Amino acid sequence: MKCQKCGKDHANTHVKTIINGDYKEYVLCADCAKEMGYGNIFGNMQQEFSNMLGSFFGNTLPAVSQATHCPSCGSTYYDIADSGKVGCADCYSTFYDLLLPSIRRMHGNTTHCGKKSVAGIEYTETQPKKVSKLENLKAELDKAVKAQNFEEAAKLRDEIKELEKNNG
Amino acid sequence: MDNNVVISTRVRLARNLKNYPFPYKLNEKGRAEVNEKVKDALKNGNSAIAKDFQYINFDNMTDSMKVSLVEKHLVSPEFISNTKGRALLMLNNPTVGLMLNEEDHIRLQVIEKGFCLDRVYDLADKIDTLLDERLNFAFDEKLGYLTQCPTNLGTGMRASVMLHLPALKQSGAMSMIASNLSKLGITIRGLYGEGSASEGAIYQLSNQVSLGISEKSAIQNLKNITEQLVNQEVMQRERLVKSIDARDKIMRSLGILKTALTISHKEAVGLLSNVRLGICSGLIKDITIDKINEIITEIQPATLMVTVGKPMSPKERDICRADYIREALN
Repeated sequence: MKCQKCGKDHANTHVKTIINGDYKEYVLCADCAKEMGYGNIFGNMQQEFSNMLGSFFGNTLPAVSQATHCPSCGSTYYDIADSGKVGCADCYSTFYDLLLPSIRRMHGNTTHCGKKSVAGIEYTETQPKKVSKLENLKAELDKAVKAQNFEEAAKLRDEIKELEKNNG
Repeated sequence: MDNNVVISTRVRLARNLKNYPFPYKLNEKGRAEVNEKVKDALKNGNSAIAKDFQYINFDNMTDSMKVSLVEKHLVSPEFISNTKGRALLMLNNPTVGLMLNEEDHIRLQVIEKGFCLDRVYDLADKIDTLLDERLNFAFDEKLGYLTQCPTNLGTGMRASVMLHLPALKQSGAMSMIASNLSKLGITIRGLYGEGSASEGAIYQLSNQVSLGISEKSAIQNLKNITEQLVNQEVMQRERLVKSIDARDKIMRSLGILKTALTISHKEAVGLLSNVRLGICSGLIKDITIDKINEIITEIQPATLMVTVGKPMSPKERDICRADYIREALN
């Protein structure tokens, strides 16, 4: 069979796609398949990301509309699903459960590991955030130990260790 | 040996400020505030390097100047498509760029010649930490750094190396390599990003996944795979240049570049790729790899017009390009 795109070479790649619910089938030669991005699953994913995000979400949409708006930016879950763009940081907590399946599909994982921001801790110009976060954690650790909440204490101890390592 | 194959190394980090919607949802006033906050954070940052950043103003820039920045990989095509409410902070040597209000509030990028992932990441990490101390980043314990597009969640990091793989391309192994790499969380693309044909056998290799893998592991993974590809390429080169036809092609390419009066960008890149292979294999001795890398950068359409300082038709560019190459090689 000849390639449907160039009509010259022997087709050896069979592509089946469903984009936004439209099913399409092609037979392509190796070169045309590569050119159209099918030699590379991930590259293709990013290119048509907003479409794919739309269809990912399509499968997970609840039967009954949860007409919730993000309290910070006003985006609805449908806005995000439609555009493939998340509105603001708070959208992630507002729509966490709904976003999670597609995040898992993209990364194969849903838990961050790596560098941690010191964000979220109040700080002043004279006192860098890192120090204050460390102090906060140490105070919390003291509290947890006194309350004999050892599970919490172990968690805090690890966090402190990590922070001190990064600071050093 | 690595530098014969690895042209450059790049790391970029995506960051957002917690208290502002992501740029596409952000009005002009908010964008201006974000620009100011990041500029201030950098200026007041407790580091010598931070003070040398230049603020690049796009208002008086011609289109070719903007496109030239893309050709040199200093900004993304998306960034120059509409520079309103956006800003660029730049540092030369080492090359660091902060694109503000592109897809995310901050896109921090460090790029250097050769194969130096650890060094490039360390610098990006340092500048990020500096900014983190002064800005309130959007960060979640579970999802990591929060980004407009969920593909960048987690570390927000994309590390990449630009590779010259003429022998692997010639051997026809590239599509097989690409599909194998995708299983390892690594993407390979042609020179100008997604979907583009690999002009001059120049490819970009980068990590795909950013959530659930630490920066260090992602970089180690990319490093290991790059090293394997480099070894494969070197082996294939040795095999390739044994053939008289391949050596003939290399020397003829040099001949054309040294004598042509007009040359398209595409043809030039293809021939330069052959000559680069010739230098790496010891067939051509009087030209350095750095020289070829420089020519490949300089002969791009917009960059050429910026150097000459005037707009040119495609035909005029082809003549100008041939002049430039002849002068550089003779």
